[in-house]
Amino acid sequence: MGNEKKLNLGGQEFESRLLVGTGKFSSVAVMIEAIKASGAQLVTVALRRFNRERPSDDLLGPLAKLGITLVPNTSGARNAAEAVRAAMLGRELSGSRFVKVEIHPNPHHLMPDPLETFEASKQLAKEGFIVLPYMSADPVLAKRLEDVGCAAVMPLGSAIGSGHGLSTAAMVRMIIADSGIPVIVDAGLRAPSEAAAAMEMGCGAVLVNSAIAAAGDPVAMAAAFAVAVKAGTAARQAGLMTQSDTAVATSPLTSFLSGNQA
Amino acid sequence: MTTELPEELDPSLWLSIARSATESDVRRALTTSSPTEAKFAALVSPAADHLLEGMAQLAKRLTEGHFGRTISLYAPLYLSDYCPGGCAYCGFAADRTQPRHRLSRDEMMREFEALKAMGFEEILLLTGERSPQADFAYLRDAVAEAATYFSAITVEAFPMTTAEYHELAAAGCVGVTLYQETYEPVQYHSLHRWGPKRDYANRLDAPSRVLEAGMRTVGLGALLGISDPIFDALALYRHARALRRKFWQSGITISFPRVCPQEGGYQPPFLVDERFLARIIFAFRICMPDVPLVLSTRENAKFRDGIAGVGVSKMSIASRTTVGGYREPTLSPDGQFQVNDDRDLETFFTALRTKGLEPVFKNWDRVYSRGDE
Amino acid sequence: MTITVNGNKYEHHGDGRVDQLLAELGSNPDAVAIMVNDQVIPKIERMGVVLKDGDRVEVLSFMGGG
Repeated sequence: MGNEKKLNLGGQEFESRLLVGTGKFSSVAVMIEAIKASGAQLVTVALRRFNRERPSDDLLGPLAKLGITLVPNTSGARNAAEAVRAAMLGRELSGSRFVKVEIHPNPHHLMPDPLETFEASKQLAKEGFIVLPYMSADPVLAKRLEDVGCAAVMPLGSAIGSGHGLSTAAMVRMIIADSGIPVIVDAGLRAPSEAAAAMEMGCGAVLVNSAIAAAGDPVAMAAAFAVAVKAGTAARQAGLMTQSDTAVATSPLTSFLSGNQA
Repeated sequence: MTTELPEELDPSLWLSIARSATESDVRRALTTSSPTEAKFAALVSPAADHLLEGMAQLAKRLTEGHFGRTISLYAPLYLSDYCPGGCAYCGFAADRTQPRHRLSRDEMMREFEALKAMGFEEILLLTGERSPQADFAYLRDAVAEAATYFSAITVEAFPMTTAEYHELAAAGCVGVTLYQETYEPVQYHSLHRWGPKRDYANRLDAPSRVLEAGMRTVGLGALLGISDPIFDALALYRHARALRRKFWQSGITISFPRVCPQEGGYQPPFLVDERFLARIIFAFRICMPDVPLVLSTRENAKFRDGIAGVGVSKMSIASRTTVGGYREPTLSPDGQFQVNDDRDLETFFTALRTKGLEPVFKNWDRVYSRGDE
Repeated sequence: MTITVNGNKYEHHGDGRVDQLLAELGSNPDAVAIMVNDQVIPKIERMGVVLKDGDRVEVLSFMGGG
């Protein structure tokens, strides 16, 4: 994954490998400008109770004009049954088959529930959704989710909003090595360099929310992330050099073979 | 009955890299971290021959990291050399004239006792192609008997159905080895002159069936030299990757049987000398650092000692490739192929320990599993 | 009739048709999704739903989320 020119999710192709979340922005206007600057084609949204006092908080109208694909997330659901219901509602509203399965029962650290996420993903994949599950960076769980029909896996880089970057890098590498579907790092990325690093590692895409919404200038930050994702993708395709190990003098190992030594 | 190699195994896209990579391409491949076909192709290319020492150093570090300083041991036991097959390169082919033999249950048990007394805990049970004398039931019963002696039973016989693999696993088999011989369909067809082994697609699919049946491990390999070894190495690499991606709960091992010219017999069209063989082994170790790489006693003592722990992590020793043969070790060990390392265990262990490697008979017990799971 | 809308008691003075309720709430029918008694009601089925006393209605729309 990460070697093809376009991101392929559930049979649909996307140029942009930067997904953007719409939470935590100071205003809908800023959010819209930031999304435009990011070049994102996939944007997550949450379902909330309609508020009669603030009908202009609704995003559907403004987002529809941008021609992007909406990815409703199931955040707020505490178990698989609630997540499935949230997904059905989201599909109703968005008209897209995409869903981000996000089930975090603990309201503090917001870590995803692996068992409920697996159940919900399994059911939703059967129902024809293009399922993007948010998960801990667990290589075994990633394969389980792939097996039940998810279109990608979304391991967290670090806890939502923590800005601790790619603290799960080693696990994410393992996931990438064995994955047959795109790996999209979600949550915890703070700086564009971290997004570039994720792409260099072989991720299919990254999802960024807090880092953009809470930046001093969200629109400029969104543009910076777009550049970083492109740079990381290009670097990976160009073939990166690893850090080389310090040269340690050891006795030659191939003297048992005849012929000139290298 | 020639069929195409499926796209996910087809190495065609990388053949030009593998044939014409430069030394600088190989250096670059050695320093890139991503395990892709392009990297593997560069590492098996002829130019890599000039960088063998560097590849060996990296292979040794990776082997130590994943396997420690140990060599896993196993013993092959041929149960039967009855074979209706027509493989042009094999000592057991149906048109060979030597008398055939099949171990009776008593003979089998005496061979198991002899092997157990030597210390072996993992044995590989072999037969020829499916035959009336050594059919599936015979093999399954042999596995069940062997399971009362040894910790790990593996089998190298003939392609079976998924249901048969299930039964074999239930009888106590933990792994199946099945070499594709060559992944190149035209050459495959010409070498397998008659019999069920002519079915290229069925053989190619068999490792998937092994893993679908829930078997712990599948052993892959190509018989190096019967066809273009670079084509086969690349296809074998892709095969291993594809199986790992699909059967993520299972283990893969890779072996490196190399065909040698036989007196008055089969002359392989491609020469794979020891440097070439080493190059292929190092390439696999570098690109698949956590896969056990297996070397038999087909190779001589000097080569085996050199490559133990430098890529290779699992080896047989004191082998007989005749039917049985452990009970009466005074007879010649040569059967299906010539044994070129005929050292006994103690001599081999001394050689390994001189290199800082510890021989290990077993690293897994069947304590937790029930036979019917 | 007395129903619950988004967790709060609500007096509905119409005939119980869903689109009437939505109009009362000042919502754009195309920008909201509805559940009645925990059942998702697809837009095309709204015509066929008549609310009664005690029903629990959830009216949801997209807000910002990660």
